[in-house]
Parts: sequence; structure tokens; C-alpha cells
Amino acid sequence: MFTQFFGSYLLNKKIVSPENLRVAMEKKDSTRVKLGVLAINAGYMTAKQVDAVHRKQATVDKRIGDIAVEMGYLTSEQVEELLSSQKTGCLLLGQALVDMGCLTNEEFENVLTSYKKENNLTDKDFTEDDNKKASEVISSFYDIDGEYAMYVSEYVNILFKNLIRFVGDDFTPLVSAELADSDTAVTQEICGEFCAVTSIGAGDAAAVAFASRFSEEQLTENDEYTKDVISEFLNLNNGLYNVNISNSTGKELGLTPQAVSTVGEAAKINAKLMLTVPVEFSFGVVLFTISIK
Amino acid sequence: MATEISKAKVLICDDSMMVRKLMKRLLGEYGITDIYEASNGQEAVEKFVDVSPDITFMDIVMPVMTGVEALKLIKASAPDAKIVMATSVGTEGNLSEAIKYGATDFLQKPVEEEQLTKLLDNFFKEA
Repeated sequence: MFTQFFGSYLLNKKIVSPENLRVAMEKKDSTRVKLGVLAINAGYMTAKQVDAVHRKQATVDKRIGDIAVEMGYLTSEQVEELLSSQKTGCLLLGQALVDMGCLTNEEFENVLTSYKKENNLTDKDFTEDDNKKASEVISSFYDIDGEYAMYVSEYVNILFKNLIRFVGDDFTPLVSAELADSDTAVTQEICGEFCAVTSIGAGDAAAVAFASRFSEEQLTENDEYTKDVISEFLNLNNGLYNVNISNSTGKELGLTPQAVSTVGEAAKINAKLMLTVPVEFSFGVVLFTISIK
Repeated sequence: MATEISKAKVLICDDSMMVRKLMKRLLGEYGITDIYEASNGQEAVEKFVDVSPDITFMDIVMPVMTGVEALKLIKASAPDAKIVMATSVGTEGNLSEAIKYGATDFLQKPVEEEQLTKLLDNFFKEA
């Protein structure tokens, strides 16, 4: 999930355009992370050293790792370690942007360093299953604070995991997004220790594309079936959230049946705390909300 | 009770059309074709009386009547009914309540073919 927030960081800092980010998000799965990017991430080489190794490689028929060892930038052990390390999504995204010519190695080094620093992350934290770190990044990104902070940040954490697992990882969290009041929304209440209304909203095209991915079917219209599929995603997400809360705190939460309405209606809830989580997929924006009543 | 897969009757109770469609496909691939559907607990109770299914797959969170309420009513009149709770809300509270009222097993959503096949294999082996 750090990948998605890293993408958002690049966008918010205006380092990449939305279009280039969309393309890089789609390309990253077929991208191979090169040794230079791995070495920059691990802090073993600077971007300037990586560029020097690349320049050298253009003149000799040797592997990058061998050249870096010869030039004294890396040890053979470090090359082995880097080549066997986990190629996380952030690095795949960074490599895709470097390959596309949107970032130089130096720009990548600078932005990766500032992103890690601002979020207090180490390269080891980039392993996607670091739940605590992910919650911290989420709380910081959405400025979640107060009595229900733990429940809300955990909700977003589970939501992003489920989006990655069931819909796709090619999305970027946005700071804000506008949907039409008449756009489709499905809602469901979570009740127990606290009471929250959750919703998913999307315009027709994004709703159809989202539902198509989740159901693994080719849907063409935002009809009753499409809305049913989106409702089931919400129910699945909220069910897994309740299980997680039950397992981690011992508190039981219940769910009400989902209801189909509109984005305008879903926004009318009188809430103590309302968090909107717009995410941009390659097919459009989907808006998630959690409102503590 | 039918012991042959091809003769088994199965009732799927879920308010989601997508889940019913998926379950029907997976059951069909397993060789079960005599399949009935209900979209809430009340419909499930009525359909159960009509068709006496060998297995019922029951969602928990549904409009009109919850899956646990339907489970209670069905088990009260048919104590041997085989009812599998199929839900994403597999919390300890929900599971212990379902077991208390006589649920046979539990299927975690999203339903995966391997998990369903294992459950059906066990069922038909026992039957």
C-alpha cells in the first residue's frame, strides 16, 4: 500500500503528471527493478554513482553489478543481497517512471529520500505487510486524529488491502475529488462499540469498471446487477474489517444490509467524524467514506 | 438424504445476485445442478420447506430476516438440516452464535473454489 501513497506523494508534489502516473501504475507490474534503483533505495549508492556505472556499461560488455563492484561502489555481497531482496511496489513504480523518462535516477533518489523522511520510513518498512507502519502513513495522509482514530485508520488500511486484493493495485489515493450528487452510492452501517456509515460512490463509467473488475465479469451498464456487485464489495470489506477488529480488540461489531442511494444522499449524514477517501483508478475515481455517527 | 452428487439439492441464500451466480457456477462445476435460490432469510425458510435441500448455504447479513434467524427457524422444524453459514463476517461472536443454533459449517467469503470443494467433499463422504 506504500506504492499507492508514494504515487500520491509524487502527484501532490507535482513531480509527475496524473497521466504519467496512471501509465506508470499500469506498467509497474511488468517492470523489472534494476540494480541501480535497488542500490539507491538501500542507500548503498547515490544516483550519481548509478549514472556513472550506467555510463561505464555503455562502453564495456559487463553486468551492472560487476561494474559497480569494480568501481568500488558495492561489494559482491551487497550485489547478491540487492538481487535477492524483495522488489516492492514503490520501487517498481519508481523504476517504471525512470524507464519512461519521467524521472532521472537523481530525481528518484531525492524524492524517495524525502518521502521516507516525511513518513519516517526505512527501506525495510516498504514490505507491504507492515500493518503498523501502514496505519501510521494513513493517519498522517488523512490527518486522522481523536477518539476514533484507531478505528478509522484501520478501516482505510483494510479497505486499501481489499482494493489491492480484489480490484487492482493501480490506484492512487487523492486528497479530494468531486462526484455529482446524482452519482450512485451504496451504503452500509457498522454498529457496536461505535456506529459508522460507510459508502462507495462512483459515476456510471467508474461504477461499471469497478464492478467488472471485482466480479471478474464484463459488465456494460450501471444497472441493478452492477450496483449489487458494488454492494457486495462493501459488505465483504466491512465484514473483513469487523473480523479484524474482533480479532485485535475482542469487540464485536454488527452490519446492517447495504442500501443503494446517491452520493448526495450519502453525504447528508450527521456525523461526528467523516472521512472521505477518493481513489483514482485508471478507469476513474471511486469515492469511499466512513462517517462516525 | 441424497448421497449422489448429481442428485443433491442445494439451496443458496444470499442477498447478493453476484454471490448466488458465483455459487451456482461453482456448484455446477462440482456436479450439482439441482440448485434453488433465496435472497433473504424469510425466503430461505419458505424455500427450505418447499424443496428440503440436502445442503443450505446461508449468508448472515441480509434484509428482511438475517441468516442466523433463518437458521434458528429451519433447525427448529428440521433438526437434521445441514446449514453452512457463508459470510464475510466470520467473527467469533457470529460463529459461536451460528454453532449454538446448529450450523453445520462455516464458509468464509469471498468463496473460493478450493474451500467449497473441500467442504462438499467432506459432506458427501460423510453422507
